[in-house]
Amino acid sequence: MAIILKGRSISKGCAEGEALVCRQPIGFNFGIDVANGVITEYNHELFGKSIKDKILLFPHGKGSTGGSYVVYQLAKNMTGPKAIINMTTETIIAVGAIMGGIPVIDSLEKNPYDLISNGDRVKVDADQGVVTIQK
Amino acid sequence: MDLTDSEKRMRDGEKGEPVRMAMEILLALGKIYGAERLIPIQSAHVAGLSLKSHGIAGTEWAEDLANRGARVCVPTTLNVVGVDRSRDFDFPKAWVRDQLRIETAYERMGCFGTSSCVPYYCGFVPRYQEHIAWSESSAVVFTNSVLGARDNREGGPSALASGLTGRTPLYGLHLDENRKGDVLFKVSAPLTDLADYGALGSYVGRMIGTRVPVFEGIKGPAIEDLVCLGAALASSGGVAMFHAVGVTPEAPTVEAAFGKKKYEAIEISAGEIAAGKRKLTSAKEKKIDYVAIGCPHCSLNQLQEVATLLKGRRIDKETTLWVHTNVAMKALAGQLGYVQTIEEAGGVITQDLCTILGNPEALGFKTLATNSPKMAFYAPGSNGFSVWYGSAEQCIEAAVQGTWKA
Repeated sequence: MAIILKGRSISKGCAEGEALVCRQPIGFNFGIDVANGVITEYNHELFGKSIKDKILLFPHGKGSTGGSYVVYQLAKNMTGPKAIINMTTETIIAVGAIMGGIPVIDSLEKNPYDLISNGDRVKVDADQGVVTIQK
Repeated sequence: MDLTDSEKRMRDGEKGEPVRMAMEILLALGKIYGAERLIPIQSAHVAGLSLKSHGIAGTEWAEDLANRGARVCVPTTLNVVGVDRSRDFDFPKAWVRDQLRIETAYERMGCFGTSSCVPYYCGFVPRYQEHIAWSESSAVVFTNSVLGARDNREGGPSALASGLTGRTPLYGLHLDENRKGDVLFKVSAPLTDLADYGALGSYVGRMIGTRVPVFEGIKGPAIEDLVCLGAALASSGGVAMFHAVGVTPEAPTVEAAFGKKKYEAIEISAGEIAAGKRKLTSAKEKKIDYVAIGCPHCSLNQLQEVATLLKGRRIDKETTLWVHTNVAMKALAGQLGYVQTIEEAGGVITQDLCTILGNPEALGFKTLATNSPKMAFYAPGSNGFSVWYGSAEQCIEAAVQGTWKA
C-alpha cells in the first residue's frame, strides 16, 4: 500500500530509499562525522548511527550555523542522506541542501511521525512537493 | 517576490556570477519562507569557517567564488577559525594549510578577518532595529535579544550571499510579529555566575527547540552572562531570540514580551539549574589534561577574571590551559598585563581559534574542563573529549591541581 502526502518543497530533486526516523532535532556542525555520515553528538538518539543514503525524517535543525557547509560537504562526499523530510526546515539546513542538491520537503499535510517508520521505503519528490510511503 | 530593477539585474547575472549565485540562494529562501520582498541589510557575519565545517568541498566552493571576483558590498566580518595566526601549536601541517586557504578566500572577497564569534567585542555593534544577516548561532541570539537588531539564524553561505548583495529576504525575525515570546520561564533559582546562566540556557534550549523563551526573574546580569545564556540556548536548541523581562530591549514587561500571544509558564528552580549542569557533564575521570575558557570568545572582563584567579599560581605540569579570545581583546589584555599574568602561570591566551573549531585533540588531550555550555555541548562530538562543566573558579582550580573537584 502506498501513502501519498503533499508538502512544501524546500530543495528540489527526487530520491527514494529507506527511512530513518529521528524524533530529536539534528545539529549538523560538530554533530556528525562527514567521512561516513555517523552522528557523533553525545546523548543524541542517533548517536553512533549513520544517516548515509537514508531518507531522513527529523523535526528541524538546531545549533551551529556552520551546518550549511556540513550539509554541503555530506552531499559532495556522498555520505549524506538521499533526501530530508522535516516538520519545519530552517534556513541552515535549507541553504546547505540547496547548494548540495539534496531534496528536502517539509510541512506535510499529515504528521509524518504517525505514518513513517524506520525501514519503510520512502520516495521524496521535491520537484512536485510529494512524499510517497510504501508500507 | 517583488524585486527592484537593481535586484532583477543581480538575479539575471548582470553583476557577475557570484552575485547571481547569491541571489539564487536568497530568492530560494524568500520563496520558501513567503517573503514579499528583499530588504537592505547593514552588515553580515559569516560563520562555519573551520576546516571541520567547510571541508575541502566548502573550501573549493569559497575559492571558486573569490576567483570569480566575488566582493562583499556591506561590512562583513568573519567568525572564529581553526588556527591561531600568531603562533604554531603543532597542529598537523595539512590542517593549518587548508584552514588558512579558507580565511584567505573570504578575505579576498573583502570580508574583515576578525576571526571571532563575538564581533560585537571588536567594534561591530548592530544598533536597535537594524536589519543584519549574521550567522554564528550565539551571535544571532545576542544581536536579536540583547541589542534588538533583526537577524534570522543564517547559515554561513546565506550570510555571505547577503554580504555580496546587501540584501536578505523579509521573513522570520525581521518581522515584528515573529519576535514575540512563546513560553515564560519563571526563574526563582539564584544565578550567581556564568556557569549558572549556561546551565539555564542549556536546560531551556533542550526543551524549547526553535521557539522564543521569555525569562522572568533574571536580575542585573552582566553582558557576558547574557552572551553565555544565548550561546547555550542556541547550541542545545535552535533558539534565535530570547527575552529577559526588564533586561532586554523588547521586554520591558511580560505583556510586551508576549504581545497578544497565549503562553504557558514553567518554573525554573535550583533543581533545573543542577540538571542543566549534569547534562553538560560527560566525564567520569577526575584527572584533567585540558582546561579551556572562552566559548564564545572572552571579553576583557573575562580575561581579567582568569588573570586574577591565576595570579601568583602555577598550572599543573600535566595540564594545559587555553583561554580563547580574538586579536582585539588579546591586544588590550597584553597592554593591561593579563596576558603576562596568565602566561607566567603556564596558561595560553589563544587568538582566532577555539577548542571546538580548532584541533586540540591532535595534541592528545582527553578530558576537558570548561565553564562554557556551548563548548561542553559540542566538544564530545567535535573533539572526542569528555567534559567537566563548572564555574571559571572551578576550572582554574582544576588547571592548577590537575584534577576536578565537584
